[in-house]
Amino acid sequence: MLQKAGLVLSDGTSIDDLIDTKMHEVSLRVMNDPELHKIEMERIFGRTWLLLGHDTEIPKAGDFVVRDMGEDQVIVARDRKGEIHVLLNVCPHRGMKVCTAEAGNTQAHRCIYHGWAFRPDGAFIGAPVEKEQMHGNMRPKSELGLKKARTHLYGGLIFATWNIEGPSFDEFLGDTKFYFDQLFCRTDSGLELLGPPQRFMIPANWKIGAEQSASDGFHTLTLHRSLMEGGVMGGTPESIYDNAPGMYGVDVSCSEGHSLRCLEAAQTFKMFSNMSFEGKSTEERLRMLPPPGITQELIPQLFKNLSPAQVEMLATIPPQVGGMFPNVLVLFIFAPRTDGGASGALALHTYMPRGPNHFEFVNYIFAEKDAPEQVKRDMLENSIQQAGTSGIIEQDDADTWPQIMRNARGPVGRSMTLKYQALTGHHIPEGWPGGGLVYPGFTKDDTQWNWWLNYHRLMSSPS
Amino acid sequence: MTDRSTAAVDKSAVMRGLISRSRVPVGSEIYNRLLETLYDEAAALDERRFDDWVAMLATDLVYTAPIRLTRTGVNRDRDVMRTMMHFNDNYASILMRTGRLSKSAWAEDPPSRTRRFVTNMRVGETENPDEYEVVSYLYLTRSRGETAEYEVTTGERRDVWRFVDGAYKLSKREIILDQSTLSMSNLAVFL
Repeated sequence: MLQKAGLVLSDGTSIDDLIDTKMHEVSLRVMNDPELHKIEMERIFGRTWLLLGHDTEIPKAGDFVVRDMGEDQVIVARDRKGEIHVLLNVCPHRGMKVCTAEAGNTQAHRCIYHGWAFRPDGAFIGAPVEKEQMHGNMRPKSELGLKKARTHLYGGLIFATWNIEGPSFDEFLGDTKFYFDQLFCRTDSGLELLGPPQRFMIPANWKIGAEQSASDGFHTLTLHRSLMEGGVMGGTPESIYDNAPGMYGVDVSCSEGHSLRCLEAAQTFKMFSNMSFEGKSTEERLRMLPPPGITQELIPQLFKNLSPAQVEMLATIPPQVGGMFPNVLVLFIFAPRTDGGASGALALHTYMPRGPNHFEFVNYIFAEKDAPEQVKRDMLENSIQQAGTSGIIEQDDADTWPQIMRNARGPVGRSMTLKYQALTGHHIPEGWPGGGLVYPGFTKDDTQWNWWLNYHRLMSSPS
Repeated sequence: MTDRSTAAVDKSAVMRGLISRSRVPVGSEIYNRLLETLYDEAAALDERRFDDWVAMLATDLVYTAPIRLTRTGVNRDRDVMRTMMHFNDNYASILMRTGRLSKSAWAEDPPSRTRRFVTNMRVGETENPDEYEVVSYLYLTRSRGETAEYEVTTGERRDVWRFVDGAYKLSKREIILDQSTLSMSNLAVFL
């Protein structure tokens, strides 16, 4: 028998049987396999950088929120020095949750079970009845703190990983950092989370949402047909399939599986106005159509915080939707308002696994911190109406994913394959300012396939 | 400036539905008409007569559903967070939503079969003689496709109904859902 590299499941199926890298096909079985799920928790969620929230959620010393890293729950807390720590919410004493709230403020997290207490940096303070030394004398206090993850702040976004010696966050973002910076690192004060995230359960495997987040632009045309009926994608409801300018642009990604769809500003602008972009300077174009979430007052800050090439991209072909491997969706879109205008809707989602058959959809909604209050209120309203629990776009996704999941149950159904065979191929258009893998034209399957390749790579290599 | 941080406590977030001190008693003429109105509204939504429902809405409608956040200690009852919502709507956006439902809205095509059970109605007078504060409990069951499982949600609705031209119109609704993490996979249905 040939030696199968990487991962072999107990029934002899290998990762190469499940992900056919020659044919660009993925077995539907991957969406419903408890054994695979267990390995994903170790090799993916135990290893990559994971998004946990934003530093504006916990501005004061002692502030904390409780979040998830895969199936593990963590406390995200700010200490007296202002530093943010990510701590496993498992009492080292007897395994109880140390923190039973979802958010709050405290300088001492005290477990309700036996009273062991911990500082916001995870350090063990002590157990009750000091003189009896109820933590024993076999381990020093320094060994009894909360287990700590490695933490990184990127544009205020809080990321953490259990992979203490692994790749840096910048290495993790790879060649897509140039593009993500245009969304997260463009203004002096950065983004502000407008309120605690919406949370809701989807009866589907986390990968059903996650592989779509890797810039599946194509589904917009049919699943989100109501967007086209509403005139958001250009074209007309009658000529929906062959006249949808919003489907063209440049998809970018990298071998780490992240991706973004960049859509031509001139095309977007045409939907709102008859004026032409022709012959206009970068700044003039930015003023005519500020990128989603940016107001006129913030435009000078773009030049200050970004490179000329990055600003030029924002003015010409801004990144608007995409994802970060493994489970983040990025949505920085122009959203039409009911009064006829358009404002930005800025949201990030994480798809957190809850066993192999469910995931929790966590929806974070943002605005630029320095945007006027009225703009923040508009953007909040708009984001809620477009995305998340009641959002008219994502209602349709939330109804589709469980039906794919249902099909992954049948013995015949789960042997079917998901196909990623509509390919553009990496090709850098002339004058393109960024790096990474670049796919110009109609949005196709390349970026999603890169997501699966990274999944394959991580799943194939034991820690 | 609004403190939008997750850790901050919304001091207004006390769990109290009815604010009015002047109660409209159960069984009175006004109470009965309002109860009838809530029953008619539930029927219009369950029967998917969205035009009939929209006709029951005032054009200055504010329709919101704040999120809930589990808290402990002194703040244990301050668990309604109005900085973030599941619904943040007005009359125009509701029209946008109902308009979409008549075209390609796969989240409700095929439609869910729903039942809205409306109970525990309490009514209070407001400063405006034509407006009443109406608080009710909602139990919503939703069946989709051929799956045997129901999706269920429960909550309290804090309404203001205004008497206009011989009928009550909804001018304000705040839906206080009971879950911090919703078990319903979307809110493509009205609450």
